Amino acid sequence: MPVRTPHFPDLLFGAAARLRRWEGALMGLLEAHGYRELHPSLVLREAVPDGSLRFFDGDELVALRWDFTVSLAALLARRFTEPPPRVAYAGAVFRRPVQPWEAVERFEVGCERIQAEGEATGEADVELARLLMAIPGVLGLKGAILHLGNAALVRRPLEAEGLPPNLAEAVVAALSRRAPHRVREALADHPAAARLAAHAEALLAELDGPHTMEALKASPYAGLLQEERERMERALQSLLPILPPNLELRVDLADVAGLGFYTGPTLRLWAPGAQQELAAGGRYDRLFPGLGRPWQAAGFCVRLSRLLDLADTRPDLFEPLP
Amino acid sequence: MTPASLLIAFPKGRLGDELVPKLAGTPLALDAAALKSRALRIPTATPGVAALLLKGADLPRYVAAGVASLGIVGSDTLDELDMDLLELADLGFGACRLSLCAREGLTLEALRAKPHLRLATKFPKATEAWLSREGLTAELVPLSSSAELAPLLGLADAIVDLVQTGGTLRAHGLVETAVLGHSSARLVAARGAYLSEPGRIRPLAEGLIQSLSSSVKPAVAKGV
Repeated sequence: MPVRTPHFPDLLFGAAARLRRWEGALMGLLEAHGYRELHPSLVLREAVPDGSLRFFDGDELVALRWDFTVSLAALLARRFTEPPPRVAYAGAVFRRPVQPWEAVERFEVGCERIQAEGEATGEADVELARLLMAIPGVLGLKGAILHLGNAALVRRPLEAEGLPPNLAEAVVAALSRRAPHRVREALADHPAAARLAAHAEALLAELDGPHTMEALKASPYAGLLQEERERMERALQSLLPILPPNLELRVDLADVAGLGFYTGPTLRLWAPGAQQELAAGGRYDRLFPGLGRPWQAAGFCVRLSRLLDLADTRPDLFEPLP
Repeated sequence: MTPASLLIAFPKGRLGDELVPKLAGTPLALDAAALKSRALRIPTATPGVAALLLKGADLPRYVAAGVASLGIVGSDTLDELDMDLLELADLGFGACRLSLCAREGLTLEALRAKPHLRLATKFPKATEAWLSREGLTAELVPLSSSAELAPLLGLADAIVDLVQTGGTLRAHGLVETAVLGHSSARLVAARGAYLSEPGRIRPLAEGLIQSLSSSVKPAVAKGV
Protein backbone atom coordinates (compact mmCIF):
# COMPACT_ATOMS: atom_id res chain seq x y z
CA MET A 1 0.00 0.00 0.00
CA PRO A 2 1.57 3.35 -0.95
CA VAL A 3 1.87 5.67 2.02
CA ARG A 4 3.29 9.13 2.50
CA THR A 5 4.15 9.11 6.17
CA PRO A 6 7.43 10.36 7.62
CA HIS A 7 9.28 7.08 7.42
CA PHE A 8 12.62 8.77 7.97
CA PRO A 9 11.87 11.08 10.88
CA ASP A 10 13.84 14.26 11.46
CA LEU A 11 13.94 14.90 15.20
CA LEU A 12 13.59 18.54 16.19
CA PHE A 13 15.01 20.03 19.39
CA GLY A 14 12.65 18.52 21.97
CA ALA A 15 12.60 15.00 20.53
CA ALA A 16 16.33 15.05 19.76
CA ALA A 17 17.12 16.08 23.33
CA ARG A 18 14.78 13.41 24.70
CA LEU A 19 16.36 10.72 22.53
CA ARG A 20 19.87 11.73 23.63
CA ARG A 21 18.82 11.78 27.30
CA TRP A 22 17.02 8.42 27.14
CA GLU A 23 19.87 6.73 25.28
CA GLY A 24 22.34 8.01 27.86
CA ALA A 25 20.22 7.01 30.84
CA LEU A 26 19.47 3.53 29.51
CA MET A 27 23.06 2.80 28.51
CA GLY A 28 24.13 4.04 31.95
CA LEU A 29 21.71 1.61 33.60
CA LEU A 30 22.99 -1.27 31.49
CA GLU A 31 26.62 -0.37 32.09
CA ALA A 32 26.00 -0.27 35.84
CA HIS A 33 24.85 -3.89 35.58
CA GLY A 34 27.93 -5.05 33.71
CA TYR A 35 26.72 -4.73 30.11
CA ARG A 36 29.42 -3.49 27.73
CA GLU A 37 28.58 -1.69 24.53
CA LEU A 38 29.19 -3.16 21.10
CA HIS A 39 28.44 -1.18 17.99
CA PRO A 40 28.00 -3.34 14.88
CA SER A 41 28.42 -1.61 11.54
CA LEU A 42 25.44 0.18 10.04
CA VAL A 43 26.06 -1.67 6.77
CA LEU A 44 25.45 -5.41 6.33
CA ARG A 45 27.52 -7.00 3.61
CA GLU A 46 26.27 -10.55 4.00
CA ALA A 47 22.84 -12.13 4.45
CA VAL A 48 20.76 -9.26 3.06
CA PRO A 49 17.24 -10.09 4.23
CA ASP A 50 13.83 -9.18 2.83
CA GLY A 51 12.41 -6.20 4.63
CA SER A 52 15.78 -4.51 4.98
CA LEU A 53 16.76 -1.30 3.21
CA ARG A 54 18.99 -2.50 0.38
CA PHE A 55 21.23 -0.66 -2.02
CA PHE A 56 24.20 -1.27 -4.28
CA ASP A 57 27.70 -0.38 -3.12
CA GLY A 58 29.35 -0.62 -6.51
CA ASP A 59 28.38 -4.09 -7.75
CA GLU A 60 27.71 -5.42 -4.27
CA LEU A 61 24.19 -5.57 -2.82
CA VAL A 62 24.31 -4.44 0.81
CA ALA A 63 21.72 -3.49 3.42
CA LEU A 64 21.43 -1.12 6.33
CA ARG A 65 21.42 -2.72 9.78
CA TRP A 66 17.85 -3.97 10.25
CA ASP A 67 18.09 -5.73 13.62
CA PHE A 68 20.66 -5.30 16.38
CA THR A 69 20.36 -8.82 17.76
CA VAL A 70 21.05 -10.42 14.38
CA SER A 71 23.91 -7.99 13.61
CA LEU A 72 25.45 -8.55 17.03
CA ALA A 73 25.11 -12.31 16.75
CA ALA A 74 26.99 -12.31 13.45
CA LEU A 75 29.70 -10.06 14.93
CA LEU A 76 30.04 -12.13 18.12
CA ALA A 77 30.14 -15.45 16.29
CA ARG A 78 32.79 -14.09 13.92
CA ARG A 79 35.03 -12.28 16.40
CA PHE A 80 34.78 -14.19 19.70
CA THR A 81 35.56 -17.76 20.65
CA GLU A 82 34.02 -17.38 24.12
CA PRO A 83 30.77 -15.44 24.52
CA PRO A 84 31.00 -12.00 26.20
CA PRO A 85 28.37 -12.52 28.91
CA ARG A 86 26.70 -9.10 28.78
CA VAL A 87 26.45 -6.88 25.72
CA ALA A 88 24.57 -3.58 25.20
CA TYR A 89 23.81 -1.54 22.10
CA ALA A 90 22.24 1.75 21.05
CA GLY A 91 21.50 3.25 17.65
CA ALA A 92 19.21 3.08 14.66
CA VAL A 93 17.89 0.17 12.64
CA PHE A 94 16.24 0.45 9.23
CA ARG A 95 13.40 -1.90 8.42
CA ARG A 96 10.43 -1.84 6.05
CA PRO A 97 7.37 -1.42 8.27
CA VAL A 98 4.68 -4.04 8.70
CA GLN A 99 2.14 -1.38 9.60
CA PRO A 100 1.97 1.62 7.26
CA TRP A 101 2.30 4.15 10.05
CA GLU A 102 5.61 2.79 11.37
CA ALA A 103 8.87 4.51 10.53
CA VAL A 104 11.63 2.80 8.58
CA GLU A 105 14.37 4.35 10.71
CA ARG A 106 13.94 3.34 14.35
CA PHE A 107 16.00 4.16 17.40
CA GLU A 108 16.73 1.38 19.87
CA VAL A 109 18.64 0.55 23.02
CA GLY A 110 18.99 -3.03 24.14
CA CYS A 111 21.04 -5.75 25.72
CA GLU A 112 21.97 -9.39 25.29
CA ARG A 113 22.84 -11.93 28.00
CA ILE A 114 24.93 -14.72 26.46
CA GLN A 115 26.03 -17.99 28.07
CA ALA A 116 27.80 -21.15 27.08
CA GLU A 117 25.67 -24.16 26.28
CA GLY A 118 24.61 -26.13 29.33
CA GLU A 119 24.75 -23.29 31.85
CA ALA A 120 21.59 -22.70 33.89
CA THR A 121 19.58 -19.88 32.34
CA GLY A 122 16.95 -19.15 34.99
CA GLU A 123 18.98 -16.47 36.75
CA ALA A 124 19.85 -14.76 33.47
CA ASP A 125 16.15 -14.55 32.56
CA VAL A 126 15.31 -13.04 35.94
CA GLU A 127 18.25 -10.61 35.59
CA LEU A 128 16.81 -9.34 32.31
CA ALA A 129 13.30 -9.03 33.77
CA ARG A 130 14.68 -7.03 36.71
CA LEU A 131 16.49 -4.72 34.32
CA LEU A 132 13.36 -4.22 32.26
CA MET A 133 11.43 -3.45 35.44
CA ALA A 134 13.79 -0.54 36.10
CA ILE A 135 13.34 0.99 32.68
CA PRO A 136 9.96 2.79 33.14
CA GLY A 137 11.52 4.72 36.02
CA VAL A 138 14.56 5.64 33.93
CA LEU A 139 12.31 6.87 31.10
CA GLY A 140 10.02 8.84 33.40
CA LEU A 141 6.93 6.77 32.64
CA LYS A 142 4.28 7.24 35.32
CA GLY A 143 3.06 3.67 34.98
CA ALA A 144 3.88 0.53 33.04
CA ILE A 145 2.94 -3.11 32.68
CA LEU A 146 5.42 -5.93 32.26
CA HIS A 147 4.04 -9.03 30.56
CA LEU A 148 5.81 -12.33 31.19
CA GLY A 149 5.26 -15.08 28.66
CA ASN A 150 6.95 -18.21 27.41
CA ALA A 151 7.22 -19.19 23.77
CA ALA A 152 7.62 -22.85 24.73
CA LEU A 153 4.01 -22.97 25.95
CA VAL A 154 2.87 -22.92 22.33
CA ARG A 155 5.95 -24.21 20.54
CA ARG A 156 6.31 -27.49 22.44
CA PRO A 157 2.72 -28.78 22.04
CA LEU A 158 2.80 -27.93 18.33
CA GLU A 159 6.09 -29.81 17.95
CA ALA A 160 4.82 -32.73 20.04
CA GLU A 161 1.78 -33.11 17.78
CA GLY A 162 3.93 -32.91 14.65
CA LEU A 163 1.68 -30.35 13.00
CA PRO A 164 2.64 -29.50 9.40
CA PRO A 165 4.11 -25.99 9.10
CA ASN A 166 1.08 -24.40 7.43
CA LEU A 167 -1.28 -25.74 10.10
CA ALA A 168 1.05 -24.72 12.92
CA GLU A 169 1.23 -21.28 11.35
CA ALA A 170 -2.57 -21.03 11.28
CA VAL A 171 -2.80 -22.03 14.96
CA VAL A 172 -0.17 -19.45 15.93
CA ALA A 173 -1.98 -16.77 13.89
CA ALA A 174 -5.22 -17.61 15.70
CA LEU A 175 -3.51 -17.42 19.08
CA SER A 176 -1.92 -14.14 18.11
CA ARG A 177 -5.46 -12.85 17.55
CA ARG A 178 -6.51 -14.41 20.87
CA ALA A 179 -9.23 -16.22 18.97
CA PRO A 180 -9.81 -19.79 20.25
CA HIS A 181 -12.64 -20.19 17.74
CA ARG A 182 -10.08 -19.63 14.96
CA VAL A 183 -7.89 -22.38 16.45
CA ARG A 184 -10.81 -24.78 16.17
CA GLU A 185 -11.54 -23.62 12.61
CA ALA A 186 -7.91 -24.05 11.59
CA LEU A 187 -7.56 -27.55 13.04
CA ALA A 188 -10.97 -28.77 11.80
CA ASP A 189 -10.78 -32.60 11.88
CA HIS A 190 -7.06 -32.97 12.67
CA PRO A 191 -6.51 -35.79 15.22
CA ALA A 192 -5.02 -33.29 17.72
CA ALA A 193 -7.79 -30.70 17.22
CA ALA A 194 -9.57 -31.27 20.54
CA ARG A 195 -6.33 -31.28 22.56
CA LEU A 196 -4.87 -28.18 20.92
CA ALA A 197 -8.20 -26.30 21.10
CA ALA A 198 -8.40 -27.06 24.83
CA HIS A 199 -4.80 -25.90 25.22
CA ALA A 200 -5.60 -22.65 23.37
CA GLU A 201 -8.54 -22.02 25.68
CA ALA A 202 -6.31 -22.63 28.72
CA LEU A 203 -3.71 -20.17 27.42
CA LEU A 204 -6.35 -17.54 26.68
CA ALA A 205 -8.55 -18.10 29.72
CA GLU A 206 -6.90 -15.49 31.95
CA LEU A 207 -4.82 -12.51 30.99
CA ASP A 208 -3.77 -11.70 34.53
CA GLY A 209 -4.69 -12.32 38.12
CA PRO A 210 -3.75 -15.02 40.59
CA HIS A 211 -5.37 -17.84 38.59
CA THR A 212 -3.36 -17.27 35.43
CA MET A 213 -0.79 -19.98 36.12
CA GLU A 214 -3.55 -22.27 37.42
CA ALA A 215 -5.19 -22.11 33.99
CA LEU A 216 -2.19 -23.88 32.56
CA LYS A 217 -2.90 -26.90 34.75
CA ALA A 218 -6.16 -27.40 32.82
CA SER A 219 -4.28 -27.90 29.57
CA PRO A 220 -3.96 -31.40 28.08
CA TYR A 221 -0.25 -30.57 27.82
CA ALA A 222 0.14 -29.68 31.51
CA GLY A 223 2.63 -32.55 31.99
CA LEU A 224 4.67 -31.64 28.93
CA LEU A 225 4.85 -28.03 30.11
CA GLN A 226 5.42 -28.65 33.81
CA GLU A 227 9.05 -27.50 33.65
CA GLU A 228 8.10 -24.24 31.92
CA ARG A 229 5.30 -23.61 34.41
CA GLU A 230 7.59 -24.17 37.39
CA ARG A 231 10.18 -21.90 35.81
CA MET A 232 7.61 -19.13 35.34
CA GLU A 233 6.41 -19.55 38.91
CA ARG A 234 9.97 -19.25 40.21
CA ALA A 235 10.48 -16.09 38.13
CA LEU A 236 7.27 -14.61 39.54
CA GLN A 237 8.38 -15.42 43.08
CA SER A 238 11.66 -13.60 42.43
CA LEU A 239 10.13 -10.57 40.77
CA LEU A 240 6.93 -9.86 42.70
CA PRO A 241 8.62 -8.83 45.99
CA ILE A 242 10.80 -6.26 44.21
CA LEU A 243 8.14 -4.79 41.96
CA PRO A 244 8.66 -1.01 41.74
CA PRO A 245 5.70 1.27 42.43
CA ASN A 246 3.57 2.00 39.34
CA LEU A 247 4.68 -1.19 37.57
CA GLU A 248 2.23 -4.07 37.15
CA LEU A 249 3.47 -7.57 36.48
CA ARG A 250 1.19 -9.78 34.39
CA VAL A 251 1.47 -13.25 32.98
CA ASP A 252 0.53 -13.61 29.34
CA LEU A 253 0.41 -17.32 28.55
CA ALA A 254 -0.69 -16.73 24.95
CA ASP A 255 2.18 -14.48 23.89
CA VAL A 256 3.16 -15.83 20.49
CA ALA A 257 4.76 -12.74 18.95
CA GLY A 258 8.10 -13.73 17.44
CA LEU A 259 7.43 -17.42 18.06
CA GLY A 260 9.72 -18.38 15.21
CA PHE A 261 12.60 -16.72 17.03
CA TYR A 262 11.96 -17.06 20.76
CA THR A 263 12.44 -20.40 22.46
CA GLY A 264 11.61 -19.69 26.12
CA PRO A 265 10.59 -16.85 28.44
CA THR A 266 9.43 -13.61 26.79
CA LEU A 267 9.12 -10.07 28.16
CA ARG A 268 7.00 -7.17 26.91
CA LEU A 269 6.70 -3.72 28.38
CA TRP A 270 3.56 -1.65 27.88
CA ALA A 271 2.35 1.70 29.14
CA PRO A 272 -1.37 2.05 29.92
CA GLY A 273 -3.02 3.37 26.78
CA ALA A 274 -0.02 2.81 24.52
CA GLN A 275 -0.97 1.19 21.23
CA GLN A 276 2.31 -0.66 20.83
CA GLU A 277 4.70 -2.40 23.22
CA LEU A 278 7.58 -0.17 24.27
CA ALA A 279 10.15 -2.87 24.87
CA ALA A 280 10.26 -6.56 24.08
CA GLY A 281 12.58 -9.50 24.34
CA GLY A 282 13.07 -13.03 25.49
CA ARG A 283 15.18 -16.14 25.18
CA TYR A 284 16.35 -17.23 21.73
CA ASP A 285 18.60 -20.23 22.22
CA ARG A 286 18.63 -21.32 18.57
CA LEU A 287 20.30 -18.17 17.19
CA PHE A 288 23.97 -18.84 18.02
CA PRO A 289 23.96 -22.60 17.29
CA GLY A 290 22.72 -21.63 13.83
CA LEU A 291 25.89 -19.55 13.47
CA GLY A 292 28.13 -22.36 14.61
CA ARG A 293 28.50 -21.29 18.27
CA PRO A 294 27.14 -23.49 21.09
CA TRP A 295 25.86 -20.51 23.07
CA GLN A 296 22.53 -19.62 24.66
CA ALA A 297 21.18 -16.09 24.64
CA ALA A 298 18.39 -13.83 25.80
CA GLY A 299 17.90 -10.09 25.59
CA PHE A 300 15.50 -7.23 25.11
CA CYS A 301 15.20 -4.09 23.05
CA VAL A 302 13.71 -0.75 24.13
CA ARG A 303 11.92 0.86 21.19
CA LEU A 304 12.84 4.50 21.61
CA SER A 305 11.03 5.62 18.43
CA ARG A 306 7.73 4.37 19.85
CA LEU A 307 8.51 6.09 23.14
CA LEU A 308 9.20 9.36 21.33
CA ASP A 309 5.84 9.04 19.56
CA LEU A 310 4.14 8.28 22.86
CA ALA A 311 5.76 11.27 24.57
CA ASP A 312 4.44 13.41 21.73
CA THR A 313 0.87 12.05 21.67
CA ARG A 314 0.38 11.13 25.34
CA PRO A 315 2.60 13.43 27.42
CA ASP A 316 0.27 12.72 30.35
CA LEU A 317 1.87 9.27 30.63
CA PHE A 318 5.27 10.76 31.53
CA GLU A 319 6.57 12.61 34.54
CA PRO A 320 7.20 16.30 33.76
CA LEU A 321 10.74 17.04 32.64
CA PRO A 322 12.99 18.56 35.33
CA MET B 1 -7.51 7.64 21.71
CA THR B 2 -7.63 10.16 24.52
CA PRO B 3 -7.45 8.85 28.08
CA ALA B 4 -11.02 10.00 28.80
CA SER B 5 -13.06 8.46 25.98
CA LEU B 6 -13.58 4.97 24.64
CA LEU B 7 -14.73 4.37 21.10
CA ILE B 8 -16.36 1.23 19.72
CA ALA B 9 -16.56 0.80 15.96
CA PHE B 10 -19.88 -0.59 14.73
CA PRO B 11 -20.52 -1.57 11.11
CA LYS B 12 -22.93 0.18 8.81
CA GLY B 13 -24.98 -1.84 6.35
CA ARG B 14 -26.35 -5.37 6.67
CA LEU B 15 -24.41 -6.31 9.80
CA GLY B 16 -25.21 -2.97 11.44
CA ASP B 17 -28.91 -3.46 10.70
CA GLU B 18 -28.80 -6.72 12.65
CA LEU B 19 -26.63 -5.31 15.44
CA VAL B 20 -28.49 -2.13 16.40
CA PRO B 21 -31.74 -3.84 17.55
CA LYS B 22 -29.70 -6.36 19.56
CA LEU B 23 -28.09 -3.51 21.51
CA ALA B 24 -31.40 -1.85 22.39
CA GLY B 25 -31.95 -1.82 26.14
CA THR B 26 -28.33 -2.75 26.91
CA PRO B 27 -25.63 -0.46 28.38
CA LEU B 28 -24.31 0.01 24.87
CA ALA B 29 -27.63 0.94 23.26
CA LEU B 30 -27.14 3.64 20.66
CA ASP B 31 -28.76 7.04 21.08
CA ALA B 32 -31.90 6.88 18.92
CA ALA B 33 -31.94 10.58 17.99
CA ALA B 34 -28.30 10.53 16.94
CA LEU B 35 -28.92 7.38 14.89
CA LYS B 36 -31.60 9.19 12.88
CA SER B 37 -29.21 12.07 12.19
CA ARG B 38 -26.25 11.95 9.85
CA ALA B 39 -23.86 11.76 12.80
CA LEU B 40 -21.21 9.05 12.55
CA ARG B 41 -20.18 9.30 16.21
CA ILE B 42 -23.10 8.13 18.32
CA PRO B 43 -23.37 8.32 22.11
CA THR B 44 -24.23 5.07 23.88
CA ALA B 45 -26.19 4.52 27.09
CA THR B 46 -22.83 4.30 28.93
CA PRO B 47 -21.26 7.70 29.64
CA GLY B 48 -17.76 8.03 28.20
CA VAL B 49 -18.35 5.32 25.60
CA ALA B 50 -19.30 6.34 22.06
CA ALA B 51 -19.84 4.35 18.90
CA LEU B 52 -18.37 5.08 15.48
CA LEU B 53 -20.44 3.94 12.52
CA LEU B 54 -18.07 2.78 9.80
CA LYS B 55 -18.08 0.86 6.56
CA GLY B 56 -17.01 -2.71 7.18
CA ALA B 57 -13.94 -2.43 4.97
CA ASP B 58 -12.68 0.60 6.93
CA LEU B 59 -13.56 -0.62 10.40
CA PRO B 60 -10.60 -2.96 11.08
CA ARG B 61 -8.18 -0.18 10.22
CA TYR B 62 -9.68 2.09 12.93
CA VAL B 63 -9.37 -0.71 15.47
CA ALA B 64 -5.88 -1.82 14.43
CA ALA B 65 -4.66 1.75 14.75
CA GLY B 66 -6.16 1.99 18.24
CA VAL B 67 -8.58 4.80 17.35
CA ALA B 68 -11.42 2.52 18.38
CA SER B 69 -10.71 0.09 21.22
CA LEU B 70 -13.31 -2.46 20.14
CA GLY B 71 -15.26 -3.19 17.00
CA ILE B 72 -17.71 -5.57 15.41
CA VAL B 73 -17.05 -6.71 11.87
CA GLY B 74 -17.70 -9.69 9.60
CA SER B 75 -15.05 -12.39 9.52
CA ASP B 76 -15.06 -12.16 5.71
CA THR B 77 -13.75 -8.58 5.97
CA LEU B 78 -11.18 -9.57 8.59
CA ASP B 79 -9.88 -12.36 6.38
CA GLU B 80 -9.52 -10.04 3.39
CA LEU B 81 -7.69 -7.28 5.25
CA ASP B 82 -5.55 -9.35 7.63
CA MET B 83 -5.01 -6.44 10.04
CA ASP B 84 -3.10 -6.76 13.30
CA LEU B 85 -5.91 -6.88 15.83
CA LEU B 86 -7.43 -9.25 18.37
CA GLU B 87 -10.54 -11.28 17.59
CA LEU B 88 -12.16 -11.90 20.95
CA ALA B 89 -15.34 -13.74 20.03
CA ASP B 90 -17.45 -15.16 17.27
CA LEU B 91 -20.71 -13.33 17.94
CA GLY B 92 -22.70 -15.75 15.81
CA PHE B 93 -25.07 -13.33 14.13
CA GLY B 94 -24.78 -12.07 10.57
CA ALA B 95 -24.00 -15.61 9.46
CA CYS B 96 -23.64 -16.05 5.73
CA ARG B 97 -21.74 -18.07 3.17
CA LEU B 98 -18.99 -16.96 0.82
CA SER B 99 -20.02 -18.68 -2.38
CA LEU B 100 -19.18 -19.10 -6.01
CA CYS B 101 -22.31 -18.10 -7.90
CA ALA B 102 -23.06 -18.43 -11.59
CA ARG B 103 -26.02 -18.22 -13.93
CA GLU B 104 -28.53 -21.01 -13.51
CA GLY B 105 -27.48 -24.06 -15.51
CA LEU B 106 -23.77 -23.28 -15.40
CA THR B 107 -22.23 -25.99 -13.22
CA LEU B 108 -18.97 -25.99 -11.29
CA GLU B 109 -17.61 -28.56 -13.75
CA ALA B 110 -18.44 -26.28 -16.64
CA LEU B 111 -16.65 -23.40 -14.92
CA ARG B 112 -13.65 -25.63 -14.22
CA ALA B 113 -13.50 -26.57 -17.90
CA LYS B 114 -13.25 -22.97 -19.09
CA PRO B 115 -9.80 -22.22 -20.52
CA HIS B 116 -9.98 -18.64 -19.25
CA LEU B 117 -12.20 -18.35 -16.21
CA ARG B 118 -13.11 -14.85 -15.06
CA LEU B 119 -14.44 -14.32 -11.53
CA ALA B 120 -15.75 -11.00 -10.26
CA THR B 121 -15.47 -10.45 -6.52
CA LYS B 122 -15.07 -8.13 -3.56
CA PHE B 123 -13.08 -10.90 -1.90
CA PRO B 124 -9.91 -11.47 -3.94
CA LYS B 125 -7.90 -12.98 -1.11
CA ALA B 126 -10.46 -15.62 -0.19
CA THR B 127 -11.05 -16.32 -3.89
CA GLU B 128 -7.34 -16.77 -4.56
CA ALA B 129 -7.06 -19.14 -1.59
CA TRP B 130 -9.97 -21.23 -2.89
CA LEU B 131 -8.54 -21.30 -6.43
CA SER B 132 -5.24 -22.47 -4.99
CA ARG B 133 -6.94 -25.23 -2.98
CA GLU B 134 -8.86 -26.35 -6.06
CA GLY B 135 -5.82 -26.21 -8.35
CA LEU B 136 -7.55 -23.68 -10.61
CA THR B 137 -6.44 -20.45 -12.21
CA ALA B 138 -8.70 -17.52 -13.01
CA GLU B 139 -8.64 -13.86 -13.88
CA LEU B 140 -10.05 -11.92 -10.93
CA VAL B 141 -12.21 -8.90 -11.70
CA PRO B 142 -12.18 -6.67 -8.60
CA LEU B 143 -15.53 -5.05 -7.79
CA SER B 144 -16.72 -3.13 -4.75
CA SER B 145 -20.49 -3.49 -5.16
CA SER B 146 -23.34 -5.08 -7.17
CA ALA B 147 -21.24 -8.08 -8.16
CA GLU B 148 -24.44 -9.90 -9.24
CA LEU B 149 -24.51 -7.81 -12.40
CA ALA B 150 -21.12 -9.06 -13.62
CA PRO B 151 -22.21 -12.49 -14.98
CA LEU B 152 -25.40 -11.05 -16.45
CA LEU B 153 -23.53 -8.40 -18.44
CA GLY B 154 -20.58 -10.54 -19.50
CA LEU B 155 -18.02 -8.91 -17.23
CA ALA B 156 -17.27 -12.30 -15.61
CA ASP B 157 -18.26 -15.96 -15.85
CA ALA B 158 -19.21 -16.12 -12.19
CA ILE B 159 -18.90 -14.20 -8.93
CA VAL B 160 -17.62 -14.93 -5.46
CA ASP B 161 -19.85 -13.11 -3.00
CA LEU B 162 -21.61 -13.33 0.34
CA VAL B 163 -24.92 -15.17 0.36
CA GLN B 164 -27.30 -14.95 3.30
CA THR B 165 -30.79 -15.91 2.12
CA GLY B 166 -30.07 -16.23 -1.60
CA GLY B 167 -32.86 -13.76 -2.46
CA THR B 168 -30.60 -11.34 -4.36
CA LEU B 169 -29.06 -14.21 -6.30
CA ARG B 170 -32.45 -15.58 -7.32
CA ALA B 171 -33.61 -12.12 -8.38
CA HIS B 172 -30.68 -12.05 -10.82
CA GLY B 173 -31.02 -15.63 -12.07
CA LEU B 174 -27.89 -16.80 -10.25
CA VAL B 175 -27.32 -19.93 -8.14
CA GLU B 176 -24.63 -21.05 -5.69
CA THR B 177 -22.31 -23.55 -7.32
CA ALA B 178 -19.80 -23.92 -4.48
CA VAL B 179 -19.42 -22.73 -0.89
CA LEU B 180 -15.93 -21.31 -0.26
CA GLY B 181 -16.37 -20.46 3.41
CA HIS B 182 -18.57 -19.04 6.12
CA SER B 183 -18.70 -15.65 7.77
CA SER B 184 -20.21 -14.21 10.94
CA ALA B 185 -19.85 -11.13 13.13
CA ARG B 186 -16.69 -11.01 15.25
CA LEU B 187 -15.81 -8.85 18.24
CA VAL B 188 -12.39 -7.35 17.60
CA ALA B 189 -10.11 -5.33 19.85
CA ALA B 190 -7.11 -3.08 19.42
CA ARG B 191 -4.09 -5.09 20.52
CA GLY B 192 -2.55 -2.18 22.39
CA ALA B 193 -5.71 -1.15 24.20
CA TYR B 194 -6.56 -4.71 25.22
CA LEU B 195 -3.09 -5.60 26.45
CA SER B 196 -2.17 -2.29 28.05
CA GLU B 197 -5.52 -1.41 29.62
CA PRO B 198 -7.36 -4.65 30.28
CA GLY B 199 -9.12 -3.07 33.26
CA ARG B 200 -10.88 -0.63 30.93
CA ILE B 201 -11.37 -2.73 27.83
CA ARG B 202 -12.22 -6.22 29.10
CA PRO B 203 -15.37 -5.21 31.04
CA LEU B 204 -16.61 -3.44 27.94
CA ALA B 205 -15.85 -6.46 25.76
CA GLU B 206 -17.55 -8.78 28.24
CA GLY B 207 -20.53 -6.41 28.37
CA LEU B 208 -20.84 -6.53 24.61
CA ILE B 209 -20.64 -10.30 24.55
CA GLN B 210 -23.25 -10.49 27.29
CA SER B 211 -25.52 -8.07 25.44
CA LEU B 212 -25.29 -10.21 22.34
CA SER B 213 -25.23 -13.47 24.31
CA SER B 214 -28.20 -15.07 22.56
CA SER B 215 -26.04 -15.57 19.48
CA VAL B 216 -22.55 -16.01 20.96
CA LYS B 217 -21.16 -19.52 20.76
CA PRO B 218 -20.71 -20.57 24.42
CA ALA B 219 -17.22 -22.04 24.07
CA VAL B 220 -16.05 -18.74 22.63
CA ALA B 221 -17.50 -16.61 25.40
CA LYS B 222 -15.60 -18.68 27.96
CA GLY B 223 -12.27 -17.71 26.45
CA VAL B 224 -12.77 -13.97 26.77
